[in-house]
Amino acid sequence: MGRIGAWLDERLGIYALGRSFLDRKVPGNIGWWHTLGSATLVLILVQVVTGIALTLSYVPSPDHAYESVLYIDQTPFGALVRAIHHWSAGLIVLLIGLHILRVFFWGAYRYPRELAWVGGAILFFVVLGFGFTGYLLPWDQKAYWATVVGTNIAGSAPFIGGAVLELLRGGQQLGALTLTRFYGIHVWVLPATLFLFVAFHLFGVIRQGIAASPRRKPIVAPQPGESRRDAYEREYAAEKEAGKPFWKALFKDAVVALVVVAAVTLVAFLAGAPLEERANPNGIYAPRPEWYFLDLFQLLWYFGGTYEPLIIFGLFSLGAFVFLLVPFLDRGRARHPRQRPLATSLAGLVVILILGLTAVALFGTPSGVAKVPPREGMVTTQLSGLEVFNSQGCAACHTIDGVGGTGGPGLSRAGFRWDEASIRAQIVTPKDESMPAYDKLSPQALDDLVAYLVSLQ
Amino acid sequence: MSSPDNAAAGQVDPDLAEPIDEDPPGSTRLLDRRSFVIRAMAAMGALMAAIVGLPVLGFASVPFFRAKTPVRFISDAIPPTLRSETWVSAGALDDFDVGEPRLVLLQRDVADGWVGGVSDVAVYVVRETDEEVVTFDIHCTHLGCPLAFASGSATFVCPCHGGSFDVQGDVTSGPPPRPMVQYETRVVDGEVQVGRIAPEA
Repeated sequence: MGRIGAWLDERLGIYALGRSFLDRKVPGNIGWWHTLGSATLVLILVQVVTGIALTLSYVPSPDHAYESVLYIDQTPFGALVRAIHHWSAGLIVLLIGLHILRVFFWGAYRYPRELAWVGGAILFFVVLGFGFTGYLLPWDQKAYWATVVGTNIAGSAPFIGGAVLELLRGGQQLGALTLTRFYGIHVWVLPATLFLFVAFHLFGVIRQGIAASPRRKPIVAPQPGESRRDAYEREYAAEKEAGKPFWKALFKDAVVALVVVAAVTLVAFLAGAPLEERANPNGIYAPRPEWYFLDLFQLLWYFGGTYEPLIIFGLFSLGAFVFLLVPFLDRGRARHPRQRPLATSLAGLVVILILGLTAVALFGTPSGVAKVPPREGMVTTQLSGLEVFNSQGCAACHTIDGVGGTGGPGLSRAGFRWDEASIRAQIVTPKDESMPAYDKLSPQALDDLVAYLVSLQ
Repeated sequence: MSSPDNAAAGQVDPDLAEPIDEDPPGSTRLLDRRSFVIRAMAAMGALMAAIVGLPVLGFASVPFFRAKTPVRFISDAIPPTLRSETWVSAGALDDFDVGEPRLVLLQRDVADGWVGGVSDVAVYVVRETDEEVVTFDIHCTHLGCPLAFASGSATFVCPCHGGSFDVQGDVTSGPPPRPMVQYETRVVDGEVQVGRIAPEA
C-alpha cells in the first residue's frame, strides 16, 4: 500500500474489508461456468452507461423519436454507442439463459439458496421487460408492430386483459402516451427494480457463499439425526476447506467479462444497430420480434379458436410460475443432474423446445414483408408467377428459398414433390381447410403461378 | 472470570432508578420500549410511503382504472389505431366495386395524448352489395398484425400466424378468435362515410 493508499485507508478503513472479501475461501471446483452471472452484471453496467449516453439525444415522442435516433446514428460515436446498447442487450439475454441452465443442472438453487433463484428469475423477467420496452423506443416499423403484438399478448389475460393493455399503452390506441410510458418504464422503473434485485441476488450469493459444483457423493458423510442446517454447514465447510481463495475464482470472471465486453464492442462496431423504416401504422408489414422472443412468437402459430387468448395467457403465466418456483417444486436432496433424472430431462426438453421454436421461426420467417426473390434463369411466365406468389401473400405461410412463413408446407422443391395438375388443384380447391381457396385468380395469373411453382425443382 | 464488568451486567443497582442504555436481564420493560420505537418508525415509514405512493401509483395507473375496454373472460386484441369520433369521407360509392376490398387512407381528426390533428388512418372499405358498404380495421383480431388482402382468394391474410378472414370479415383459418373489427359506415348522397369503431355486435 503506497502513502496515498495508506492515507485513504486510515479514513475509509476499506482495505481490511476488501482483503477479507477477496481472501475468503470458496469451494475449489468453481470455474469458468461460474463466470456467466458476473459477465451478465458487467454487461448490465455497460447498458447503464450506454443507455444514459443515449438519453442525451433521444426524444420519447412519436413525431421526434425516429428522427432523434437517426441523429444519434449520424453523430460521431453515436451509432457505436447505440449499437453497443443493442448487441449487449441481446447478449445479456443469452448469458442469463446459460447462467440459468448452469444453476439448474448443477442444482445450485437447493437449500439454502432458494431465494437467490427466485430473485434471479425475477431479474430475468426484468431483463425481458427491458428488451420489450426498449425496442419500441426507436419508433421504427419493427418497434411499432412488435409493441402492437406484445401489448395484445399482455391483454389476453382473462377479465383484466383490456385494462392491462390500456395500462401498458396508456389507452386503447398505440401512440404518444405509449411511447412516454415505455420510455419511463425503460429508463426509470425497470432500472430501479433491476438494482433492487441485483442487490438481493448478490447479497444472497455473498451471504450463503457460492454453491459448490454438485458431487454424486458428499465429501463428508452425513451423520444420522443431524439437522439439515448442520449437515449443510458441515458439507459446505468441508468444500471451502478443500477450496481456494475467492480472488483466484474472480480472475476468471474478469477474463470472461473482458472478452464479452470486447466482443460486444467489436460486433457493434462491425454490424451497427439495426433501424428499419419509420413506424407506419397504416402500412402492411410482417412483424417479427427480437430473436429472444421468437420462440414465444412461433408458439402462437399452434393454437386457435375462441379460447386461444386464454390458452396463450395460461401457457405463458404457467411457464413463468414454474420457472419462478423451481426450488420449491424440485425439493430433493441430490444436486447432481444424474441423480435427479426427472428434473434434468424436463429441463432438457424445455431447452430443446425453445431452441426448436426459435430455429423454426428464425429460418422460416425473415423480418419485414416476406418477398421471395427470383432464382437465376427464370423465364417471363415464371417471373410473373413469382409476382403473383408475392402479391397474394403466399409467403405468409409458405417458405421458398428460406423466405416465408411456416404455416403451410415449404415450396422450395414444389415442382419436384408434386405434378402440375395437383399443384393447380391445391391452389384452387385446397384439400387442407387451413388454406384459403385461391379460386378468384385470373386464368393468366393462375397459369403463371403454377408455371413458377412447377419450375421449383 | 468474575470481572467487575460481568458482575455489573448481571445485576442492576436498585439505586439506579432508570437505566437508559442497557436492558436488565429478565426485564422486558426496555425491550418493549425498543420494539415500540422500531414499530413506530416502521409505521412512520409506511405512512410516508403511502402519502407519496398513493398519488404516484394513482397517476401511473389512470389508464388501468379508466379503461374503456369491456371486462371479458376471453379478452380481445385491441386495434392500436388512433381513435376518432367524427365521420369522414372514404370516397364516392361508385368508386368501389362490389366484393372488392380497397385499402383507403382516411384523413381523420385524431387525439393522441397531447398530440392532436389530422392523421392518416388506414381501413379496408368493402362494398358488400350495391347499397351496403362495410369498413374494417386493418388489424388481425389475433394479435393486431396488419392484414394484407389477397385478391386471388378474396381473403385477408395475416403475416404473423397465418390467420385469414373472408370479405365479410369472418375468420376462415388460423388462430384469430373473432371476426375483423368494423367501423360504423354509412352512405350519404353517394359518398361513403366512416365513423368510429363499431361496438361489437
